[in-house]
Amino acid sequence: MSRFSKTLITLAVLASAGSALAEGKYTGVGRGALPAEIHAWDIDVRPDFKGLRPGSGSVAQGEETWEAKCTSCHGSFGESNEVHTPLIGGTTKDDIKTGHVLSLVKGDAPQRTAIMKVATVSTLFDYINRSMPLTAPKSLSNNEVYGLLAYLLNQAEIVPADFVLTDKNIAEAQARMPNRNGMRTDHGMWPGAPATKGGIGNGGKPDTKNTACMSNCKTEVKVASLLPVYAETAHGNLAEQNRSVGPVRGKDTSGKAPVAPAAPSDNAAATKLATDSGCMACHGVANKIVGPGYNEVAAKYKGLADAEAKLAAKVKAGGQGVWGAIPMPPQNQLKDGDIRSLVKWILSGAKAQ
Amino acid sequence: MADPMKIRASAKEGVTEVKVLMSHEMETGQRKDSSGNLVPAHFITEVTAEHNGKQVLAAQFGTAISKNPYLAFKFKGGAKGDKLAVSWVDSKGDKRSDEVLIG
Repeated sequence: MSRFSKTLITLAVLASAGSALAEGKYTGVGRGALPAEIHAWDIDVRPDFKGLRPGSGSVAQGEETWEAKCTSCHGSFGESNEVHTPLIGGTTKDDIKTGHVLSLVKGDAPQRTAIMKVATVSTLFDYINRSMPLTAPKSLSNNEVYGLLAYLLNQAEIVPADFVLTDKNIAEAQARMPNRNGMRTDHGMWPGAPATKGGIGNGGKPDTKNTACMSNCKTEVKVASLLPVYAETAHGNLAEQNRSVGPVRGKDTSGKAPVAPAAPSDNAAATKLATDSGCMACHGVANKIVGPGYNEVAAKYKGLADAEAKLAAKVKAGGQGVWGAIPMPPQNQLKDGDIRSLVKWILSGAKAQ
Repeated sequence: MADPMKIRASAKEGVTEVKVLMSHEMETGQRKDSSGNLVPAHFITEVTAEHNGKQVLAAQFGTAISKNPYLAFKFKGGAKGDKLAVSWVDSKGDKRSDEVLIG
């Protein structure tokens, strides 16, 4: 966030520098931002403490401000879980030594507190300065922010009770932040150039590597796992319980599924042809998968005299729009005879046998 | 010995408000760890608070109280600079006592 606002401010500064030119072009419209305005606006603090205004605040001063303005939401010790998740807790002395919060790895803390997660003390300063108290953001003085931060760091046992936090020694507090080594930047969530080119992060490269299959794709949908036989009837007939729209169909678990006769027929040959040609990947016999189910196709073309020829041409050339936006790819690889027998089979009801 | 308690006591118009954050596991003895074994019970059983050596609060704690318990109470009396001591005893017999000056 601070990076973006810096860019904006740079632009604003450039704009004010070029205001002489701009005024020539747009006489009497607006003016450049004054240095004092930019100073009031430019409040962000970077991890290297660039932008931090000089000041100081002791733990004791911070405690006073804390009790007055912060306790109602965050609790006296930053422990309250009532309004927000706790600020303090879950860190140990070892965490302060190593710079890695162990309970983030072990997952044994009841929840993640702010001090467990935050890696840079500048973030805390900037956040308190920018948006606290929630009801009156930016109402705290610079020294009050220093004091509150000192108090919080003391509650987290990062600094002693007599500590006075200033812009000079804030780096000491950073060197003891429990999760200071816990932040990773080698991922795509950071904006700007990759680390090799002077930025941070990897230049916005996502960490997923999914690619759409374009060649040698699977021609068939295979069911990876099935309900065990003994459990099939545990909830009645699943086929009757699933809704009739959408791609999900319940299996017929009534125990009365028709037993297929053994003799092969034209239908069996056509079923095999449809499976081998990859039709079944997108079309179901009695349901829509990607394309329409064969029962739907048969119903649509029922009674049309030239249905067979029309459908055969559609299969060969592909099509789009009749059944929705997803196109059917052309099936030039199929023999004309095969297409005809497939179409015949579909129009006759696409029976398996 | 467990980690120190965080105690804050402030006197105002003859009433002292005390806030205590204890650092304790408060295991109920009913939780199981990742290998399925019961985590043995370990919780605070008694909490007492003394103002200048005189007891102002005695409480019995049990397993229903959360990890790192927070306790706030008020008592009549107390002035700036008085001593306030809070102590607890847990189910293993461990003890902890901390003292602050009322502010």
